[in-house]
Amino acid sequence: MSASYLDLDVRPILRDGGEPFSAIMEAVGALAPGQSLRLLATFKPLPLFQVLGARGFQAAAREIGGGDWEVIFTPAGAAAPEPEAAATADDPRGWPRPEVELDNRDLDPPEPMTRTLEGIEGLSPGQTLAALLPREPLFLFNELRARGHSWHGFTEPEGHYRIVIRRGGQAPS
Amino acid sequence: MNGAALSRWTMAYFAAAFGLLIVAEALMACGYGFPAVAVEAPETLVLVHVTAIGWLSLLMCGALFQFVPVLVGQPLRGRRLVLPALLCLLAGLACLLAGFLSLSGVVEIGFPVLGCAAVLLAVGFALVATALARTLWSARRTGLPMPARFVAVGLACLAAAVLLGAVFALTFAGLLPTTDVVGWGLPAHAVAGFGGWLTFTAVGVSYRLLPMFMLAPETERATTRLAWWSGGVALFLAVLAAPAERALSGSDTSLAIAGLLGCVALACYGADLVFFYRRRKRRAIELNSRSAVGAFACLCLTAVLAVAMAVMGEAARHVGALVFLAAYGWLGGLGLSQLYKIVPFLTWLECYGPVMGRKPTPRVQDLVVERRDGPWFILYFAAVLGGAAALLAGRPELFRLAAVAMLTATAAIGLELVLARRLFNVAREKRLPEGTVRPHLFFAAQR
Repeated sequence: MSASYLDLDVRPILRDGGEPFSAIMEAVGALAPGQSLRLLATFKPLPLFQVLGARGFQAAAREIGGGDWEVIFTPAGAAAPEPEAAATADDPRGWPRPEVELDNRDLDPPEPMTRTLEGIEGLSPGQTLAALLPREPLFLFNELRARGHSWHGFTEPEGHYRIVIRRGGQAPS
Repeated sequence: MNGAALSRWTMAYFAAAFGLLIVAEALMACGYGFPAVAVEAPETLVLVHVTAIGWLSLLMCGALFQFVPVLVGQPLRGRRLVLPALLCLLAGLACLLAGFLSLSGVVEIGFPVLGCAAVLLAVGFALVATALARTLWSARRTGLPMPARFVAVGLACLAAAVLLGAVFALTFAGLLPTTDVVGWGLPAHAVAGFGGWLTFTAVGVSYRLLPMFMLAPETERATTRLAWWSGGVALFLAVLAAPAERALSGSDTSLAIAGLLGCVALACYGADLVFFYRRRKRRAIELNSRSAVGAFACLCLTAVLAVAMAVMGEAARHVGALVFLAAYGWLGGLGLSQLYKIVPFLTWLECYGPVMGRKPTPRVQDLVVERRDGPWFILYFAAVLGGAAALLAGRPELFRLAAVAMLTATAAIGLELVLARRLFNVAREKRLPEGTVRPHLFFAAQR
C-alpha cells in the first residue's frame, strides 16, 4: 500500500491565494482503484476530510514543519454511511463519479442555486455533479424535479449541505 | 426532502392584505376610530379588524402557505383549500365590518350580518389552519424543527381567537343569549390574536427566514427552546387560565405570571436576533434585514412600555397606543420589510427558475432599487413612532399627521412591490430571456 500514492502539492496554489479544491478533486478522480492520495497543504484541510470522507476515504494527517501538513487519503472500500439522506428514487450507489465538484457554501443566495444549475447544464445525460451548499436547497429540489434530474444529498455535521445530482433528460442544446 | 414549490395564491393574499393596510391607514389619517372615539367603539373595532384580519392575518396566511413547506421540507397539503379560504376570509371581513357599521348606527342591515361574519371567518380560518396543520403533521416523523413549533402554537392561538371572536359576533347579532362573554373573553381574544397567532407565528418564521437571508448559523439554540416554552406557557395562561381565574376568584395571578413569562420569551428572542445579526456571514445585508431592525426595536419598545405602564397602573389607559405600536411598528413593520424581500424573490424564482443555468438571468437584487426605497422604510418607522407618541401624549391631530406619513410610505413601498413583480427595474434587454414569461400580478404560474 505504501507504494501506491498519488502525490499532489497544493502549497504553491494556496500561497498564490488560489483555490485548490478543483485540483484536488481532479486528482481524486484520477486515482486508480485502491490508490491513496498524498496531499501537501499549508494548513490542515479539515473541510476536505468531510468531503472525501463522504466518498469513502480515510484521512491521516501529520504536520511536516513550517506550518505545512501532509494528509494521506486512503480509500476504505465501501462509502461511508450518509445520515438523513434525501434522494430521488434511483439508487445513487450506481451513479458515476461526479464530473464537477462545486463549493458554493460561501456564495450569497441565490447564487448557490444558480451556479449549481449552470453546472448541470454542462453535463451529458447520466453524468453527475457534486455541490456543497450553505443549507438544504428546498427551492433547488423543485427545479431539479421540474427538469427531470435525480439527486441525492444530506446535511453534513458542519451544517452545510452536500448534494450529488445526476443529469436526466436530453443532452444540452 | 421534497422541496418547496411556489405557492399559487400567496401573491393574491399579499395583494389583498396590502390593499386593506392602505384602507386602515387612510381611515386613521381621516381621523376615523380611536383616538377620536373610545377604544371599544364600533368605529375602532372596524379599524382594529381591518388591521388584524385584513392586513396582518392575510399577510401571515399568504406567507405561511409559502414558507411552512420550507420550514418542514414537505409540500403544502390541501392546496385546493387556499383560494376558497381567501374568498371566505374576505367575505367574512366584509360582513364583520358591515356589522360594526350597523352597531355604530351608520347603516341599517335587515339580517344578522355579524352571524354571517362569524361563520365565514370561522370557515376561512379553519381552511387555512387545516392546510397548514396537515403540512406540519406530515413532517412529524422527522420531528418538527423549532420554527415550525412556533407556527403550531400560533395556529392553536388562531383557533382560540377565532372561536372567541365568533362567540362575540353571534352574541352581538342576538343569536346567542346575552352574557358578559365580551367582558371576560376580550383580553384572551386580543392576546390569542396579536400575541399568539400573529406574534408567535412571526417569531417562528423569522427564526428560519432571517438566518436564510443573512447566512447566519441555523443551529438550534437553548434560548430558542426557552423562548418557545416560556412563550407557549405564557399564551396558555393568558388565553385559558386567566379568564377562568378572573371568573372564579376575581384575581389576576395567572395573567401576571403570563406577563413575566412573556418577557422571558422576548428576552430570549432578542438574544437570538442579536446572535443572528452578529454571526451572519453576509456582511452587507439587504434592505429587508436592515429595516426589520426597526420592527424588532418596536417590539422591544412595546414590551418595555407595557411593563412600565403595568407597574404604574396606567396600562388600561394607554392600551390603544400599545396595540398601535405592536400592530404597526412590530407586526406591520416586519411584514413590510420582509415583503420587500419575499415578493422579489418569489417573482425571480417564478420568472427565471425555468431558464436558470441555461441563459443569463438578472439577480434577485436587480428587481428592486434599494437606494431609492430605504428612505420609505425610515419614514414608515419614524411615522409609527410619532403616531405612538401622539397617542400617549393625547394629541389626535398629530396622530393623523403621522398616519398620513405612514400612508405615504406604505403606498410608495406598495408601488415598488408592484414594479418588482412586473420586472420594471430589470434592464429591458435582460428582462425576459427566451423561455420566460412575465409573472402575473396576483398569482404564480404552476409547473
